[in-house]
Order: sequence, then structure tokens, then C-alpha cells
Amino acid sequence: MEPVAATGFLTAALDRSAAELENFDAVVRLHWPTVFRFALASLRDRDAAETVTQDCFVKAWRNRAGFRGHAAVKTWIMHIAVNTVRDHLRNRRLRFWKRTTAQALDLHAAGERVADERPSTEAHLLRTERVRAIWEASAVLSEKQRTAFLLRFVEDMDLLDIAAAMGLKEGTVKVHLFRAVQSVRERLGGIA
Amino acid sequence: MSAHLSAQEISEWAAGMRPREREDHLHECAECRSELTRLQGALSEFRDSVRGWSAEQGSYPRPAWLTERPRVSHWLRWALVAAAMLALVAIPVYRSRLQPQRAETDIDDAVLMEQIDDGISRSVPATMEPLTGLVSWNSADASAPHAKSRQKKP
Repeated sequence: MEPVAATGFLTAALDRSAAELENFDAVVRLHWPTVFRFALASLRDRDAAETVTQDCFVKAWRNRAGFRGHAAVKTWIMHIAVNTVRDHLRNRRLRFWKRTTAQALDLHAAGERVADERPSTEAHLLRTERVRAIWEASAVLSEKQRTAFLLRFVEDMDLLDIAAAMGLKEGTVKVHLFRAVQSVRERLGGIA
Repeated sequence: MSAHLSAQEISEWAAGMRPREREDHLHECAECRSELTRLQGALSEFRDSVRGWSAEQGSYPRPAWLTERPRVSHWLRWALVAAAMLALVAIPVYRSRLQPQRAETDIDDAVLMEQIDDGISRSVPATMEPLTGLVSWNSADASAPHAKSRQKKP
């Protein structure tokens, strides 16, 4: 009887995931901040991130019939987001001047965004410096390294979900993550 | 206790490559644990920074737009396809209807042009027109005596 119970559990889980999409507005409300944050951290351009986020949910809406519930809704949405960001980056390569400007502005703004618990000035400066160093390091990572890095360390996704979202094997994700962490540590140097 | 974890091993651990012996080492070695904690702390600060910055940008969903837009574009797409098909059919029909009308017009134009040509064409300049009443250039009878007299003169 155990396999039947297991199958029943699996079917129920799939149904639950698929049922989540029934109320698409709720899905949008729930996952919008995550997608926007990921797009913003990847593109470093508010308008582009907003556009990509909208495109992501439009694609999700159009393809919702194809969602079978084999992954969590969040993983499915993030898979679409990863592809949409990637497409946007490819299109933007033709407009490299805009990218350069946006990065220069956003690195400055983002580096200043440090959780402020009013520590000592020195500690605050060190923290700001560390955050800025990671921002700078992530800016020069390869597209896949940066995506894996952001999904792991900003979105707190586990390796299997990242693999599903990126359409890669778990081992490949680990390699991208390892290289990303190595680059970040090198940039951090003695300030970490 | 084994030697401290290398920089690469620390990065591998942070990336999710976590063999059992390294886990054991981290339990025993405060120095390596501290190194890893510093790295994780910096990564947490980065996460807070991204989240704070993103929240500050204030991007909110517009569900009504999201759910309606695909439908609108869907209908728009079909309307454009229908318009293109209609144009493909209508343009040749319209042209075939215009063809006879155009031929009639061409004939009328040609007749009109001939009439105009006849009306405005002159065999002699306008200043010499009064003389044409006195002299008939085409008359053989009229021209013969002159021709004879011209022949006799020399």
C-alpha cells in the first residue's frame, strides 16, 4: 500500500501546485517582489527590471496551461524570469553605452543600501565597503555565475530549485556558484 | 585535527559542496568556522542590501493589466491578420474593376488630345494666316502660271 500512498501524496502535491495558478492575481502579488528584485540585481536598471518583471508574468500567464506542477510555482516563475533577464541582456548588448551608465549609477546607489542598525561609524563603513565590493564583484561575473549567485544568496533558493530555474544540473550550478564565491572573496580581500 | 580549510574549500562549502570530512572539520575548528561565518556575514549584508534597494524602488504588480494585456494583444493580433487577409483579397479585385474604366478613360483622353491637336495646329504662322485666303498653296492651277513665269524670267 505504500507506493499507492506515495503516488497519492505526489498527485496531491502536483494538484496543489497547479491549483496555486488558479488565482493568478495572487501568484503575481506573491512573486512580483522576488522577480523584480532578481531582475533589478541582474540588470541594475529600475525601468528595465520593471519591464522584465511585467514580461515575465505575461509569459507566465500565457503559458500557465503548460504548468504541470512538477516544480513549485516559485521555481517555475523564476525559470521564466531567468530566461527573460537573459533575453533582455542579449538585446542590451547592442546598447552597451546604456549599460555602462546604468551600472555606474546603480553601483553607487546600491552600495549605500546597507541595513542600518546604527553601529559604530567604523563598523558601518566596513559594512558599506563589503557590500559595495560584492556588488562590484557580481557585476563582472558571467551571466550564469551571477544568476546562480543571486538566486542562492539573495533569494535563498536551494541548489535543486536553482538548477530547475536555470535549466542546469545541480553539479553545474555548484560549479558556477563556486566560481562566483571565489570572485567575491577575492574582491572582498581583507575586509571580510 | 586536520589542517585548516583552504580558501578554495571555504568557497566550495559556501557554494554547497559539503563533503562529510569538511563538516567534521568545521565542527572542530573555530578558526575555519570564524572564516566561514565572516564570509556568510558579508553575503547576508549583500542580501539585505539588494532587498532594501529593491523595496526602495517601489515596484508593484498591476494584476488587471497583466491579465487583460495578453487578451487585448491576442485580439489585436487576429484583427491585424484579418485586415491583412482582407487587403490581399480586396486589392486585386479593386484593381480588376479599375482596369476597364482606365482603358475607357485612356481612349477618351486620346480622342480629346487629337481634337486639341486639330484645334491648335496651324499650317502657317498666325501672322501669315490672312495671306492664306489669297494664295492657295495646294492648288495646281494657281501655282502653274507662277511656275511658268518663274521659268521664263531668266
